[in-house]
Amino acid sequence: MTTIRRFCCNDLLRFASVNLDHLTETFNMSFYMTYLARWPDYFHVAEGPGSRVMGYIMGKVEGQGESWHGHVTAVSVAPEYRRQQLAKKLMNLLEEISDKIDKAYFVDLFVRASNTPAIKMYEKLGYVIYRRVLRYYSGEEDGLDMRKALSRDVEKKSIIPLKRPITPDELECMVDRFGWCNHSSYQLVTSCVFYLFLSLLILVLLRYNISL
Amino acid sequence: MASKFGLAGGIPERRVRPVWDAIDSRQFKNALKLSTALLAKFPNSPYALALKALILERMGKPDEALSVCLSAKELLYKNDSILMDDLTLSTLQIAFQRLDHLDLATSCYEYACGKFPTNLELMMGLFNCYVREYSFVKQQQTAIKMYKLVGEERFLLWAVCSIQLQVFCGNGGEKLLLLAEGLLKKHVASHSLHEPEALIVYLSVLEQQAKYGDALEILSGKLGSLLMIEVDRLRIQGRLLARAGDYTAAASIFQKILELSPDDWECFLHYLGCLLEDDSSWVNGVLNDPIAPPKFLDCKLSHLPDEMFDSRISDASAFMQKLQADTSDNTIRCPYLANLEVERRKHLYGKGDDDKLMEALMQYFFRFGHLACFTTDVEVFVEILTPDKKTEFLEKLMKSSESPSPVPAKALGQSITLLKVQQLISKMYKLSESELEGSACQMVETYCKNLPLSKDLDPQESMYGEELLSMVCNVLVQVIEFVQFKERLQHSNQYLMARVEAPILQLKQNADNIEEEECVLESLKYGIHFIELSNEIGSKSLTFNEDLPSRPWWTPTSEKNYLLGPFEGISYYPREDMTKDREANIRRVIERKSLLPRMVYLSIQSASALLKENIKVNGSVSGPKISSDLKFLLERYAKLLGFSFSNAIEVVVGVSGGQKPSSTIASDLIDWLNFAVFLNAWNLSSHEIAQPDGNGHGHRPGAWHIVDSLLEMYVLEKVRSMDPQICSPCVDLPILVQLVTEPLAWHVLVLQSSVRSSLPSGKKKKKGGSDQPNTPLSHAIRDSIQSVCGTVEHVTKWLREQINRPEDENLETILSFLHKKGQNEGGPGQVFKILETSVSSINETQLGERISQAVKAWSPVDVARKIVTGKCTVASKFLKICESKLKSLHAMKQQIAQV
Repeated sequence: MTTIRRFCCNDLLRFASVNLDHLTETFNMSFYMTYLARWPDYFHVAEGPGSRVMGYIMGKVEGQGESWHGHVTAVSVAPEYRRQQLAKKLMNLLEEISDKIDKAYFVDLFVRASNTPAIKMYEKLGYVIYRRVLRYYSGEEDGLDMRKALSRDVEKKSIIPLKRPITPDELECMVDRFGWCNHSSYQLVTSCVFYLFLSLLILVLLRYNISL
Repeated sequence: MASKFGLAGGIPERRVRPVWDAIDSRQFKNALKLSTALLAKFPNSPYALALKALILERMGKPDEALSVCLSAKELLYKNDSILMDDLTLSTLQIAFQRLDHLDLATSCYEYACGKFPTNLELMMGLFNCYVREYSFVKQQQTAIKMYKLVGEERFLLWAVCSIQLQVFCGNGGEKLLLLAEGLLKKHVASHSLHEPEALIVYLSVLEQQAKYGDALEILSGKLGSLLMIEVDRLRIQGRLLARAGDYTAAASIFQKILELSPDDWECFLHYLGCLLEDDSSWVNGVLNDPIAPPKFLDCKLSHLPDEMFDSRISDASAFMQKLQADTSDNTIRCPYLANLEVERRKHLYGKGDDDKLMEALMQYFFRFGHLACFTTDVEVFVEILTPDKKTEFLEKLMKSSESPSPVPAKALGQSITLLKVQQLISKMYKLSESELEGSACQMVETYCKNLPLSKDLDPQESMYGEELLSMVCNVLVQVIEFVQFKERLQHSNQYLMARVEAPILQLKQNADNIEEEECVLESLKYGIHFIELSNEIGSKSLTFNEDLPSRPWWTPTSEKNYLLGPFEGISYYPREDMTKDREANIRRVIERKSLLPRMVYLSIQSASALLKENIKVNGSVSGPKISSDLKFLLERYAKLLGFSFSNAIEVVVGVSGGQKPSSTIASDLIDWLNFAVFLNAWNLSSHEIAQPDGNGHGHRPGAWHIVDSLLEMYVLEKVRSMDPQICSPCVDLPILVQLVTEPLAWHVLVLQSSVRSSLPSGKKKKKGGSDQPNTPLSHAIRDSIQSVCGTVEHVTKWLREQINRPEDENLETILSFLHKKGQNEGGPGQVFKILETSVSSINETQLGERISQAVKAWSPVDVARKIVTGKCTVASKFLKICESKLKSLHAMKQQIAQV
């Protein structure tokens, strides 16, 4: 019983029931708003009867050349709506958007190495473990980088697993090599300012209940 | 871009990078050192200055940062040849923004754009500046300039959005929207549109003007293909049709969506609404409260003729049947829940049939009763039933549970649902305490019995029936006798509240030293702002953002603590009725609190002015003025408490003298005591309260005595009520803490102020005569100090006893309490016992190793120990506060002895 629609700012004030979970990370408001402003297509909420928030998914699309891909930043479902394949629906939606609209090569996500139920679920959805990132989660726990190839990657090149684990530093190096994100903060600053504008815009619009 | 050529703001990038790295890693001292070195090399670089300002601001030196910023700005303006790039300006902008000077940042960008009118980057920066200042018109103008410069789609959209903002915020008429539409039309004709967002903006401009037909035409045209997800496009189409009043077409669109995604509940509601030509979800368009939306839609149905209603309803039912038949996926609930909604609409139309509704509920239970979300799904529909019917429904459920599902996990799910429904229809509150306890025990037993089911689950999957335990908690809470104490559990997340509380906290922290306190007050402009704030509150619209439904119903609120009893029964949704009251109450509280700083200030002044005989204080406010100001505020304060000024005085006098019961003012205790303290301070300069005669305290001015005895009375009462603290819920502790840190602290300040001014510090004021009339007063002060001293000492003594008590003894008390209860009459102890026995009798092979390990690790003693430690920490913190109060009181004693 799900209406999946775009996430809006007001949902931030009422999704606590979903986030009250020890495996779900809660970020600050500006983090969510940046996502809302930059990748509105990749942020969806599932609502049940009585307008209850059942779960949500947030993600983004990034990369250059053959590493142009969708990324799942968070997907979470409230306890009472689990075991109903809601996460699957949300994931499928994001994959479809990456595939059809943004023509990405693959979708990837990071998951705690200890989170076996989640890993099992992603495997069921067709994801494979692409590589292991050592101490990815606050320097303690390893992360697994899981990927699923989309229709544009005909030869499924993007999901051939790497043999050895990598460190978070290497992750960043690769990021630099592909050149899709330069981490020096003054460039980040300028781009952030722009997205701040966008999120403000959204905020104001929502305040007056206008659906864009 | 400068950085592409290895230059950043005119400085080689390799020199700038270390500074940014240091800032990024929050090593501000290092960053400052590096930036100073950079400045030595490039003394005239605004960029280097901006960097330094940014670092200074981060280090908490706003004044220095601002002056550096200003000199950077000056450099920019003065030297035309200087590179004026976006990097410099955006860095400067961040510094200005953090320093709360958006206007300066904007003027920098304006200047730069004037110099380089074709630089797109600078213009985008300027646009963002306007966005931050909410100057929509200038936003629009800048965006249009950019659009004219390069003709990009996004700049046009920025302009259009700026126009929409102007219209939404009420500063622009329909003409502006026409302009936006015209711009878009022209652009579409020449360039078409490329982004789905662009199309959505275009449609929303049309929709805003109620040009639904035009919007529909565009949507079904070539541009419509921009929306790749068909359901999304159909949803917009359906909405536009419904708004245009074409319900038949809209209903068929929604029907299409349902065929594509049969589980879309909202879409079903729209579908039904359109069939029944009910425009209520479209007309207001605006939800009353987007954060806590109403549970069910209001519907307008009466206008449909009878036969038409019937035929439409049967159309809907037939379609749902078809959907049910077509879907093989057994997780899809929408077409089944739809039956319930259909019954609800009939009910609203006046053709309801409770038995049919109940039958539909039962059918839904048989299909989905094992799901955790069953109860929330049907909540709206159960609500329609009359109380008798509700009971009947429950009985039916119980009966069906006698023949449970053959799959054990399903059976467990169903029995959980049954209990949840019981809670939902407040069945429980009709039960007596012992019955409640019985059902709690039953739940725990079920939980233990079903532990083996979880054997094959992964460690991190939630166990079957976990909810049972949390429900047990919900039931026991009336009953349960000790709860972990959490000071200030309830932090209102209202920004305004925080704004008022922050200075009060600051005042509290510095209350031991009158000089420091005065500094704090000065920085608060003697509280005048807050008075203004208080004046505004009535007209301000506050938002209430708490997500109430996600908390358990017994979460203590500031007005009511359900944990305390008396047992009123589980009223599952008390909040919805109370929300309004609660909001009004919060308003009042904020209003009262915001008066505090000013009153504290005036009281201190009043006390010192008295003894200095109305010489001008701080050169601004003179004695009589203080007195009248304070009186004005006292009158307001009394009014906020619900009394007139004179009545409030009567109450205070009455309670302190024992003529009125102490419970008279117990509900707003802190506020009343504050009132008494400030009343006394005011009286010092106005002498309006006559001495209460014939009560044996003739030599003391009445107001002093009132404050002293009130403080003593309530502090002692609270201490008594909490003995022995560690083992009882000690819900009174926060109030006691507040008593000491608020009214008592203010009173100590008044005392300090009086003592200070009576000291012969001003050499010229050694008039022999002036001491004479003050003698009774200094007696009174002395007595008052003595009395407050005694009160605080009492608290300290009690706290010490609590802290020093051996830990084991405390543990013993808690545990024995449980055991004792368990043996005799049931109570929480019984649940406890069941847990204990089941722990000792686990069958390892049945449960699997992991679960049995976890179960064995459960130790009640550890839990109790944690509770005790937590309480001790709170107590010792409180002790520290009290000790520092005592210290200052003793110091005063000595001072006054010298007079």
